[in-house]
Amino acid sequence: MAGALALQSGPLPDWTAVSPALILALTGLLLFVIDSIDSDSDNTVLLAGLSTVGSLFAFGVAGWFLVEGTGQAATGGAISLYGDALVVDGMSLFFTLIFTIVAAMVCIASLDYVAEQRHQAEFFSLVLFAATGMTLMSMSNSLATAFISLELASLPSYALVAYLKDNRGSVEAALKYFLIGALSSAVFAFGISLVYAATGSLLLSDIASSLGDADGMTGILGMGVLMLLGGFAFKTASVPFHFWAPEAYEGAPAPISAFLSSASKAAGFAIAFRVFVEAFPLGQLPAGVDWVLAFQVLAVVTMTLGNFAAATQENVKRMLAYSSIGHAGYALIGLAALTAGGPNANVLGASMAHLLVYGFMNTGAFLFIALVEYWGVGTTFEDYNGLGARAPMACVAMSVFMFSLAGLPPFGGFFSKYVLFYSAIEAGFWWLAAVGAVNSALSLFYYSRVVKAMWIEDAAPTLELGSKPVGLYTAVIFAAVGTLLLLPAFQPVIETAQTVATALF
Amino acid sequence: MVPPEYYLVLSAAIFCIGLFGILTRRNALLFLMSVELMLNAANINLVAFSYVWGNVTGQTFALFTMALAAAEVAIGLGIIMVLYRNFGGVDVTDATTMRW
Repeated sequence: MAGALALQSGPLPDWTAVSPALILALTGLLLFVIDSIDSDSDNTVLLAGLSTVGSLFAFGVAGWFLVEGTGQAATGGAISLYGDALVVDGMSLFFTLIFTIVAAMVCIASLDYVAEQRHQAEFFSLVLFAATGMTLMSMSNSLATAFISLELASLPSYALVAYLKDNRGSVEAALKYFLIGALSSAVFAFGISLVYAATGSLLLSDIASSLGDADGMTGILGMGVLMLLGGFAFKTASVPFHFWAPEAYEGAPAPISAFLSSASKAAGFAIAFRVFVEAFPLGQLPAGVDWVLAFQVLAVVTMTLGNFAAATQENVKRMLAYSSIGHAGYALIGLAALTAGGPNANVLGASMAHLLVYGFMNTGAFLFIALVEYWGVGTTFEDYNGLGARAPMACVAMSVFMFSLAGLPPFGGFFSKYVLFYSAIEAGFWWLAAVGAVNSALSLFYYSRVVKAMWIEDAAPTLELGSKPVGLYTAVIFAAVGTLLLLPAFQPVIETAQTVATALF
Repeated sequence: MVPPEYYLVLSAAIFCIGLFGILTRRNALLFLMSVELMLNAANINLVAFSYVWGNVTGQTFALFTMALAAAEVAIGLGIIMVLYRNFGGVDVTDATTMRW
């Protein structure tokens, strides 16, 4: 299985394939070193700059690997490391791109957001460690590494949500996030133990090959698979473990909400895609272990619940939190529309491409909220009245995010949703696509409320905006440009996603 | 040798006791203890079936689970501490500035 990296400078050793994760981890450790030399450093520019550069470097390396074909069929297939516990292939690199670019945007935006806070080095290093965990999640090829990397991504996130430790909202959000996270990780661990009981292995490929011998243990295996699904539902904020999402996103510092709702969600999908497709392949499953049916139910319930709940919110951040649950429902189509022998790579690839576009538009939307929080404007739709006249650049960017999230034609979100629904129809699940389309139409209602408030309504006479923070503006504009560029660039993105998804089947 | 089904019943029972604790207790510390019970239920399965299958994968993974449980408690206690400072108690239902 070990493939050679065919690079200009001669083949690199196999372990270098994990370098995106290594770069993120080393940058996080470097921040600790800086903090131990100059404790309580308040040189935010240095800390934020270093973590942004580290994330962008990891992004560059992952992009270079993806273009060079590392771990793909062209250069000898997936690279497995550490006794097959980690695997670097096109899918893991594709997801690494999402995590690192979101981490970079969040780090730039935090430049202004944490400037007044203490323990800044810890803040940035926790972001980078969480990103390391997510990168490893996308590479996990065994349930053991899956569990450990999932925890590596979750534990820093709990601490980050509680970062504003004198703010009751932040603490409450962290508590609820932690309680539900701890519960779901226990359920996940128990699920792993049941799968191990039924198959005798934790490696995904070995689980798949011993599925046939699991007679008499089918019930145990079925329970185990269902409980694994619980762990993924928590990470992706899908029903039934979605309760934490509105609370955690509302109470957390807004850049962290952006990070959790984009990167953390994508990481949950990365690991769910690999585990279910590799370890429990359709067609070899014993009767009674039908996870596709479970995902179909979850996809429909998640997108409907998310969108209906979002439509009734008055708080913009909370509306975005529910909309992110709705988007988890769309992305779940990637697992719900699989069939034995169907066009599975197209479906899965479309879901991956949607998560990439979502990474830009949703991060941007939450960072706009961070900008508004920075100005001290309120949190409801009415408080956004007339913002367009005062801060036109940022509001144009926010309008781009809103229309793109709703899936209107001239933006990146339109193509990704269109391809996703089209691939579901191609796979024979027209009803999934129909539910998705109805939900998208509904979502236009609450997204356009933000746009209407910003541009059409008159501002309250007391509305005063402070200075224009450089970091937040950079991140918001960057995300908007990314969302727009993904319109012409969507063809290569979807082709890459579907090619790397093919390698899974 | 004890048949493996017995271990499954034992671990399922402990898992359910932990789950019951989570659903009924309002004290955040008891919540943490209940989560520990659920994680240890998983460990029982892993160690027992490590013996049944004749490989050490399960035993090794049980060690990892314990280490992760400790890390999780460390974060959890930190959050419970700031909960106590901000809300004056460790009752998880006190923290309701946002609606559920």
